[in-house]
Amino acid sequence: MPRRLIPLVALAALLVTACGGDEAKGPLTVYSGRSEELVQPLIDDFMEATGIEVEVRYAGSTDLAATLLQEGDATDADVFFAQDPASLGSVAAMLATLPEEILDRVDSRFADSEGRWVGTSGRVRTFIYNTSGTIALPESVDDVTDPRWAGQLGVAPTNGSFLAFVAAMILERGEDATAEWLADLAAVEPQDFPGNSPIVAGTDSGEVQGGLVNHYYLFRLRSEGGGNNAENWFFPAGGVGNLVMPAGAGIIDGTDMTESAQRFVDFLLSTEAQRYFADETFEYPLIEGVEPVAGLPALTDIDAPAIDLSALAGLLDDATRLVTEAGL
Amino acid sequence: MTAGPVTIPRESPAKSPRRRGASRGWWAAAAVVLLPTLIPPLSLLWQLITNGPGALPPTLRLLELFAGTLGLTIAVTATALALGTATAWLTSRTDLPARRWWLIIAALPLVIPSYMAALTIIGATGPSGLLSNWLGFVIPTPFGFVGAWVALSVFLAPLAHLIITPALRLIDPATEEAATGLGAGKLRVFFTVTLPLLRPALVSAGLMAGLYTISDFGAVSLLRFDTFTRAIFTLYAGQLDRRPAATLSLMLMALALLILFVERRTRSRADYHLTSTGRQRRPQHIDGWARLGSFVFLGSYALVSLALPVAVLVFWLTRGLGAGAELGTFWAETGRSVAVSVGAALASAVAAIPIAMITTWRRGRFSDAASGSVWAIYALPHITVGVAVIGFALEWAQPLYQGLALLLLTYVAMFLAQSVSTTQDSLRRASPELEEASRGLGRGPLSTLGRITIPLVAPGMAAGAALVFLSVMKELPATLLLRPTGFETLAIRIWSATGEGFFARASVASLALLGVSIVPLLALTYRDLRN
Repeated sequence: MPRRLIPLVALAALLVTACGGDEAKGPLTVYSGRSEELVQPLIDDFMEATGIEVEVRYAGSTDLAATLLQEGDATDADVFFAQDPASLGSVAAMLATLPEEILDRVDSRFADSEGRWVGTSGRVRTFIYNTSGTIALPESVDDVTDPRWAGQLGVAPTNGSFLAFVAAMILERGEDATAEWLADLAAVEPQDFPGNSPIVAGTDSGEVQGGLVNHYYLFRLRSEGGGNNAENWFFPAGGVGNLVMPAGAGIIDGTDMTESAQRFVDFLLSTEAQRYFADETFEYPLIEGVEPVAGLPALTDIDAPAIDLSALAGLLDDATRLVTEAGL
Repeated sequence: MTAGPVTIPRESPAKSPRRRGASRGWWAAAAVVLLPTLIPPLSLLWQLITNGPGALPPTLRLLELFAGTLGLTIAVTATALALGTATAWLTSRTDLPARRWWLIIAALPLVIPSYMAALTIIGATGPSGLLSNWLGFVIPTPFGFVGAWVALSVFLAPLAHLIITPALRLIDPATEEAATGLGAGKLRVFFTVTLPLLRPALVSAGLMAGLYTISDFGAVSLLRFDTFTRAIFTLYAGQLDRRPAATLSLMLMALALLILFVERRTRSRADYHLTSTGRQRRPQHIDGWARLGSFVFLGSYALVSLALPVAVLVFWLTRGLGAGAELGTFWAETGRSVAVSVGAALASAVAAIPIAMITTWRRGRFSDAASGSVWAIYALPHITVGVAVIGFALEWAQPLYQGLALLLLTYVAMFLAQSVSTTQDSLRRASPELEEASRGLGRGPLSTLGRITIPLVAPGMAAGAALVFLSVMKELPATLLLRPTGFETLAIRIWSATGEGFFARASVASLALLGVSIVPLLALTYRDLRN
């Protein structure tokens, strides 16, 4: 090589390095409303497979959504990975539209109507019951408020999933009917728990006979050596009681790491990750060809309501208000 | 100099110009240290002024919350003080066998976070609870007021025990013996002589326990008793509009200030400066039924507050391990927890000196305001402090946002009340004239600081540092909001594992938290033992 070309080649190499992909700009920051216990192993797999460094900020989904809104443009986050569609929806204005090839992998009812977030695993609202109990199981969520359950129910009125379910009910039946259902629920004096997991544990121990929860907490309890006296019950009459609430992810608009962020979301919808959600977190995989864990009915066999999940976010504050007004 | 408590007027007479100069130094230092404690309340007020109060719950509900919070605070404070005074007296003023061991054991429950206390009660009672299984009959889980009251009292009593023990040792036996000599019975002496002399220590411990109760979320949420703090957390968790939660937090702060105001008003005009520790007193002889009763009391207290929580944790751990649950990592989390706790403990021990100084030895027009701002932030729910600090940082101090420095500063501000309180206790045991004498003898201000002031407040600084260490180890809500991304602590680990039902992992992290927290507590009680 002629000697005078060397500086030119060096300069070109430098330029290529400087512009070559965004991986060089430091770690991908993920705000995760999903627990470290549940998703860190998966994130470790992603880092190993791609060489992309990921930093995760774990906190509650609603907390992170509020933090993102507070931070606005100043945020460090590149990806928001949340427990529920309501949290994702509330920051939808801050999210970039996802590429078609990502959105196409999942049934459109589990993604934002404008393509700003995509569901990554399915969580189904269900009724947990104590198997040695004698109370006839409820046909639907309206049967749960029947007097035969008086004092025997566990609910988590401040829990995000319960509030999302109430928001879905508002969407399906309107505010008045929802307020009425909540009043009926308060009338049977359910016991108030801080979250789903304690309700499942309380039902297993016989402290309560049944409760409104998400389906996978029972499987969690079983892998800790408990859960032998409880079972899930999907309401045979269908309706909002069987709401499917995907956990999901979106990419922050204006991130300088779009490529890495897309690879991350893409990874969450890979067969490997979906297998992980099915087997390790006992959720429903959302892509074709991956089956849920043994003991769960197929997602298509659950009579779930047709709800526009993108609309849930706007109703979250109303749901909180109605729950408080009902005195739960 | 005669032994015994010397009552001196609140405003020291004869202020020399030199003394006033030294005061200005302390006042300036105090002003700097107080700034961080003002950030959350000012940030909340600013939000209220610019954005309005938001949609508040109906007045009736607010009154309910007010009554619930106040009722719980009074009940917990009274119970914790009674329990703590009893354990302190039995272990330091009697000839009870093995009392030195009991002195340590009675302090240990302080390492247990309120959420763990509540989980213990839930895990031990109810149809399949540990205790119900052992006893063969079902103890109903005490949800509501009773549960929250028991959990908080039992785990705040060690705080009173720790603060009252050294104070009890400082009471000059001559005073009590004089009363006995004049014909007063043992109980009468205790209530009319001992308790009034303990008043400053009781007030410190009472404020610490009471205002902590106001801010607590762990126990009231798990045991389902409605307080302001529980309502505030619920508002933050359930809705994106943060204004109502901020407004409720300001109301809660007003309640804390009201309590402080009442305490100020009812306080006797005199301050006690114990200028001599008096001669060694003979321990009170206890025998027969009294001895048996004391053992039963201490034993059942240790059982409920120590053995039970550890048993529940070990139960979850072994059950999980039996089912093949993985334990995950906790070493890095332990390291981070210890690092921030040590940092915050040391910083608040130093920061407490000027504030303790201007509120005990150099009281002035703003002393009460300084105390007020320290206690007000201590009483705020930690989530409110976190949100307010985020608001402040994003608006005015962007480079500090999600940084370790801001997290440490917030810890110091939140828990400064503890180190200020213990440092005040130290200062009260000496007279301000000591400092003046040193300067009168020609020592410069720095030399006086190093040779007189620091040695005098050292025990209080150490006690304060230990208390702050313990508080930071347990702290969760503000840490979650303010930590640097990826900076997971033991408390965060426990939270995330418990929330998803990973009980075995939560147990391991909890045991690590208890193990580490015991170290400073042992150091503190060892000091009490030696004296």
